[in-house]
Amino acid sequence: MLDGIFTGLSTAVMPFNLMMVVVGCFAGTFIGMLPGLGPISAVALMIPITYGLDPSSGIILMAGVYYGAVFGGSTSSILINAPGCASTVVTAFDGYPLAQKNQAGKALALAAYSSFSGGTIGALALLFAAPALAKVSLSFQSTDYFALMILGLTAVAAFSGKGQVIKALIMTVFGLMIATIGTDTTSGATRFTFGSLDLIDGISFLLLAMATFALTEVIMTVLKGEHRKEEEQVDMSKLGSMKLSKEEIKEVAPTIARSSVFGFLVGVLPGAGATIASFLAYGLERNLASVKEKLKFGKGSLRGVAAPESANNAASTGSFVPLLTLGIPGSGTTAIMLGALIAYGIQPGPRLFLDNPDVFWSVIISMYFGNLVLLVLNLPLIPYISKLLIIPRPILIPMILFFSITGVYLVSFNTFDIHMMVVITLIALFLKLLEFPMAPMLLGYILGGLMETNLSRALMISDGSLAFLWERPLTLAIISVALIVLIVPPVFDLFRNRKNARGPEAAINEGEG
Amino acid sequence: MMLTKDHIGGLVFLCLSVLYGYYAGSIHMLPGDEFEPFTARTVPYALAILGAVLSVGLLLTAKRSVENRLSLNGYDFALVAKLLLLIVCFGLALEWTGFMLATMLFLIAGFWMLGERRIKMLLLVSVPFAVSIWFILAKLLDIYLAPGQLYMQIFGG
Repeated sequence: MLDGIFTGLSTAVMPFNLMMVVVGCFAGTFIGMLPGLGPISAVALMIPITYGLDPSSGIILMAGVYYGAVFGGSTSSILINAPGCASTVVTAFDGYPLAQKNQAGKALALAAYSSFSGGTIGALALLFAAPALAKVSLSFQSTDYFALMILGLTAVAAFSGKGQVIKALIMTVFGLMIATIGTDTTSGATRFTFGSLDLIDGISFLLLAMATFALTEVIMTVLKGEHRKEEEQVDMSKLGSMKLSKEEIKEVAPTIARSSVFGFLVGVLPGAGATIASFLAYGLERNLASVKEKLKFGKGSLRGVAAPESANNAASTGSFVPLLTLGIPGSGTTAIMLGALIAYGIQPGPRLFLDNPDVFWSVIISMYFGNLVLLVLNLPLIPYISKLLIIPRPILIPMILFFSITGVYLVSFNTFDIHMMVVITLIALFLKLLEFPMAPMLLGYILGGLMETNLSRALMISDGSLAFLWERPLTLAIISVALIVLIVPPVFDLFRNRKNARGPEAAINEGEG
Repeated sequence: MMLTKDHIGGLVFLCLSVLYGYYAGSIHMLPGDEFEPFTARTVPYALAILGAVLSVGLLLTAKRSVENRLSLNGYDFALVAKLLLLIVCFGLALEWTGFMLATMLFLIAGFWMLGERRIKMLLLVSVPFAVSIWFILAKLLDIYLAPGQLYMQIFGG
């Protein structure tokens, strides 16, 4: 393990990789600040750039962008009450009231310290959790991999469906369907190409990710008319001091420690991610607070800023555990990173730890550097970076569109891909209007090919019998967990609906207790 | 009967699954494949069945509340259509006018569509932006950007 850590450290401290961390954090902070564009879009926009880099540098850049975007999202949440991404929505609950009291500087500093602590605790936990899990998962066979992919798909569908699990599952199947377009790797047969040579290699991951996230998100803001809104004028003179008093540090320290550990654990669960972690940590902190302190929540509580910020960064780090050790992404953003790794020819999973120790360890170590960069460089520069918020939307939107399109074009140099992007964007817009989640579709697409390969291997070994699903205890255990993950949320919803049906007052009373 | 977002989504995916299953039947099979436990059609057939079952499930469990109806009011579809058309034109312009000119035209048209009317602003942002991106790609990163068929026809190439 020590060898691996040193290999990772030597890769991560290479000047070019350090530069990637800094560039990633800055680019991520900027993109994350723009309302409507979150970490998923930010990481998707980086994919074309990473194609020209070696795998370690590419993933380090994307990890930096991920952190930066989460941090940038909290900045816009606090300054203009416009969360850049879902995981920083909770930060606005108390961050924006603080900004209205001319304490934006304090809120921003607290967000940065909390993010740093959350990220650091998360990175340390990852340092020990990831290799341990990777060692266990080395005994996995193709049947277990197939079961793991089922677990990953159901977990993402269950968590990102926001109570609409069937819709999320349909999107997963849709993603799996898209993955079958092109030449079948096992038999060599072409499928669903309708005679088009451009579809022989299937639809590229980059094209799908850019069209469904970057392009669709931007077009959605235009569809809703958000580009007509006046740019928020951030008054830098009202930022206030960025210093925290000793009493304030004493007040938030236990919150940060609690929320970091809690956030990491939630982030490790496949599919849960930073958003759920930040909401749960805020709720937990509010429940733990005294009656007097509870009243402050929503009106500018420091603990209300510290809890979600520690939790979302720790969860972002935690979501790398299933990605690096099992090859299952913990969130939509890590799903995009999984696709990028596969595009590099690297298979995330138990073998990554042995086959590519430089990638495995340098990502973990660079996460720590990423958190340091956010604290040391980004925080003092916030007053300047936040000026980017005043760039007029009519100027910014076509530029983001341009980067999304050319990012895909510069990889294939085929204008068919641009036209394909328009078609996919139209479909994605329609599905978004019908409230279908996009992340399960992308994950279905990414895991589709691998799932088919493992299923074919398992079926060939068992001579066409599906008994492999229950003959191996490990496979059976994973499949059982997948079923539980799938069944628990709807049952939970059913109970909640019944509780609400008994009367809103009863539900509130029980919730308060 | 009230048609909600869930009903529309369910119906669309049911049709898609049926069509997908129908076309899965036309996937070319190798001789002897019919005796194999796994062929190129196995997963597509399974997905078609799964998709159809889930779509029916969505149709049966669809929410029937008024707020779940698809409302298209307040959305600027005309502008989105124009922007998507602009992207298609950008794809065509890349082939005909080359990267730099296509980028300038795309940005100017994009700014204009989204409400920027100051000619000075249109030119001062798009021209330096397009030139610097072209310079970074073509000169610094040494990426070959085809000059465009129009340029080739006029100046030869």
